Amino acid sequence: MSSIWKPSTYSIWSDDTATAAALAVDDLCVAYNVRGVDRAVLRGVSFSIAPGEAYGLVGESGCGKSTTAYAAVRYLPRNGKITSGTVHVAGRDVTAMSGAELREFRASEASMVYQDPGQAMNPSIRVGRQLVECFTLLGQSDSEAKVSAVEALRRVRIADPPSVMDRYPFQLSGGMQQRVVIAMALACNPKLLVLDEPTTGLDATVEAEVLDLVRALRSESDAAVLFIAHNLGVIRTMCDRVGVMYAGKIVEEGPSQQVFDDPQHPYTVGLLRSLPRHGVRKTERALATIPGILPLIGSELPTCVFVDRCPIASETCRTIEPPIVPVGPSGDRYTRCHHPDLIGEVFAVVDAPGITMLAPGGGDVLELSHVSKTFRQRGRTVPALVDVDLELAIGETLGIVGESGSGKTTLAKTMLGIETLDQGGRLSLDGGSLQGSTSQRSTEAKRSMQMVFQNPDSALNRSWTVRRILTRCVTKLTGVSGAAADERVEALATSLRLTPRHLDLKPRQLSGGLKQRVAIARAFAGDPRIVVCDEPTSALDVSVQAAILNLLAELQSEKQTSYVFITHDMGVVRYLADRIAVMYLGRIQEIGPTDDVFNGPHHPYTEALLSSVPSIDGEARTRISLDGEIPSPSNPPSGCVFHPRCPRVIPGICDVTEPPLIEAEPGHLMRCHIPAAELRVLQGIPVTVRPTVRS
Amino acid sequence: MTTAEASPLPRGSVRDPLHMSERKRARRENWRLLVHRPSFIIGLVIVAIWSICAIFGQSFAPHDPYDFRTDFYLSPRGSFPFGTDSTGRDVFSRVLVGSRDVLIVAPIAAVIGVILGVILGMLMGYTGGWLDTVLGRIVESLLALPAILIGLLAVTTLGRGSGVVIGIVAVLFAPIVARTVRAAVMAERDLDYVTSARLRGESSWFIMFREILPNVWGPIIVELTIRIGYAIFVVATLTFLGAGPAPPSPDWGAMVADSYQNDISGGFWWTTVFPALAIASLVIAVNLIADAVQSVLEG
Repeated sequence: MSSIWKPSTYSIWSDDTATAAALAVDDLCVAYNVRGVDRAVLRGVSFSIAPGEAYGLVGESGCGKSTTAYAAVRYLPRNGKITSGTVHVAGRDVTAMSGAELREFRASEASMVYQDPGQAMNPSIRVGRQLVECFTLLGQSDSEAKVSAVEALRRVRIADPPSVMDRYPFQLSGGMQQRVVIAMALACNPKLLVLDEPTTGLDATVEAEVLDLVRALRSESDAAVLFIAHNLGVIRTMCDRVGVMYAGKIVEEGPSQQVFDDPQHPYTVGLLRSLPRHGVRKTERALATIPGILPLIGSELPTCVFVDRCPIASETCRTIEPPIVPVGPSGDRYTRCHHPDLIGEVFAVVDAPGITMLAPGGGDVLELSHVSKTFRQRGRTVPALVDVDLELAIGETLGIVGESGSGKTTLAKTMLGIETLDQGGRLSLDGGSLQGSTSQRSTEAKRSMQMVFQNPDSALNRSWTVRRILTRCVTKLTGVSGAAADERVEALATSLRLTPRHLDLKPRQLSGGLKQRVAIARAFAGDPRIVVCDEPTSALDVSVQAAILNLLAELQSEKQTSYVFITHDMGVVRYLADRIAVMYLGRIQEIGPTDDVFNGPHHPYTEALLSSVPSIDGEARTRISLDGEIPSPSNPPSGCVFHPRCPRVIPGICDVTEPPLIEAEPGHLMRCHIPAAELRVLQGIPVTVRPTVRS
Repeated sequence: MTTAEASPLPRGSVRDPLHMSERKRARRENWRLLVHRPSFIIGLVIVAIWSICAIFGQSFAPHDPYDFRTDFYLSPRGSFPFGTDSTGRDVFSRVLVGSRDVLIVAPIAAVIGVILGVILGMLMGYTGGWLDTVLGRIVESLLALPAILIGLLAVTTLGRGSGVVIGIVAVLFAPIVARTVRAAVMAERDLDYVTSARLRGESSWFIMFREILPNVWGPIIVELTIRIGYAIFVVATLTFLGAGPAPPSPDWGAMVADSYQNDISGGFWWTTVFPALAIASLVIAVNLIADAVQSVLEG
């Protein structure tokens, strides 16, 4: 298998580049020992990164991205081992190093930044001491190291290093923590910097800040960067070249722009077509899904790893391992496929027509007026929702976006009665008054509103079978029992594409996507009028996400269910939502039809939020960076709550009076002192872009 | 990692693990792990031997355990391996059948204590708020009192008998179990399946005992095995203090109580040491089992 990677046609791989490259991985195979059996995870991975270059690895969970990253610095989990192949960092063979050499190597030549910055630091040691330690390890004296540490924090754009050094990690926000971790990683001026999902847990605006920082730091140092992310937009904006991984192999490689704009491997095509891109809406095109699932680690693989899920697979693909084929005129793109000439057919197969939706309308199913929710914590009051007015039409999807702490989930819980709204607000369902607390609501009201949760592992009782979960819900909400309930459960399962076999399994025997289908089936058990979806796809891979989003759209078109769809993913909300509400510190800052919210004029917060999304389409846009952190809801800023971070703040007005939520355009409301016409000019939005007013 | 779609075996195949019920499969796996632990096997063998003695001991004991004879205080020898006591009864025969009470009383007491503890812990963990605070304080104050003191107090006020012993042990253990269960329940309470149950209008009772309870069985089983070990110890102690069955019936705790004062000082160590060793062996055996169960279920 390794011989395929060696021929000289594969240009980046020759003996002299092995010494020149910052990282050269050659035919790397890694296995994990699970219950006494070695299971192959990486099956011949080869790539190299030049000094100063950024290389991205993409692929769905379980494809071996992170294992590659760990293997590059030989930091595999205890049960993992490199079974064959080599890793050279700056010409040194990492796989052949002794313990002492490896330690020295990690201290001075390679650094790693992990996903959760909070766990990368010792919680009981002050940030300063941890950072100083990085420098003393390199042989500096205590006083030198202290100076270096301050300098390192300056380098990662931390404004007041001495005060940050005096704090404990938990006293820093996620973004600040990640900056400190990056400062530590850069302490030794590494030749190789491995970033493993460095921004995954962070909010969009914070993520953008960290990515900006990494980009700026790259121009200052000649470290090669190996960047792992599941977010393809992040990879596109950050990396020069990208390798697409599938089942422990790199199936396509090339400059990231070219790979994302003109994919040449069927898997890459599927992956990219499963994302809602280019502002596509559910009515225009259904998202592509990749049928089947990723082969389990350690399983016997066919000659072409993707053959079982490939729409253009032929008999050759099953019998002969696909060669590495150079594609395109540039000479730096490769795909591992027998049929690169047939790639156009993949598009034809994966693209499905959009879903015909009935226009939302026929009255409002849910209305919220003056809804507030105040939590009391240790004698302090924390207003989590402030004076929210909303209405949800029959068959409508209302998207709710905003960063963490903006009150999205509290809003959902208040609608559902999990949290009881404050006095003075009013909920009404189908025109009739709705009790604030679930326990006081009628069965009819309960069956009308159900929820799909973010994490299906937590949402399904792990000791119940799928059948029991669904049957209980059907019985409880619709009152039918016995054979009638069984029948309904079967029908429900079928409409969610679950087979009868799945019904007798427990949640942990199902994949993430199947679990989420069970959770959706449960929400639909009582034929609800409204389903609240709280980030239902954020824990899933993109191809699975596509299947779930398609399913939700189909269910809506069949049943005229209204959705409240909470998400932080702008692409997803644009695909699915009819209207969008943007929340900040418990207030709705902007609400309007999806096109209006995306096309502008925008509220300055929405503007910043949209500009911080790393685009996979490579559209040029100016990043609007927000200063500072999201303020604590317990102590909101005066005037407009967004004013301390607003790039368009008008001193003397914005910090004094809170702007009301007023209609900027018909149906498009905004909470801003700047008139819509002026925002339009400031944001450079041509008047013609605005679609004709819909009533 | 085993997902439904990925089952490598064809449907209906006899060895297809998906066609065995989940619980059965988990049990079989746990059992396999347990029997691979020597400590578990040793513990099990000791408990089995004492159980057989408790049930059939009377029939194979070399002498009648109640039979007084004139040759008292014989030191251990061929026909009396553990010697005889102050009234000439065969210590070996009495030790053989002396496990009867403790082996019945201790597990019953532990089970009742654990059931009480589970109910208490479930209420505290699930309800939270003032109920948790009030019950929590009561539990803490119970835990603050020395067990011996409660035992003595109960014996003097309630008199003797197995029922009293069971009651004392259960009351002593419930708070300890409650604390463990409360912690486990609190971790479950915030999971979304509980929210979902509330959204469809389930009662608190249903959520506590039908939704949450199956998910906290692990720690409860571990707690139960540990408690049985302690219960043997506490029951023996209470019998020693005079709470157990009335004198002539052979019981390890009572045997130690009857003999330790006069016999040891008189040099007749065997009447005290052998029943004491028997108690120790049983407590250690149960603890070996408990340790193994704990490491399998929680390891």
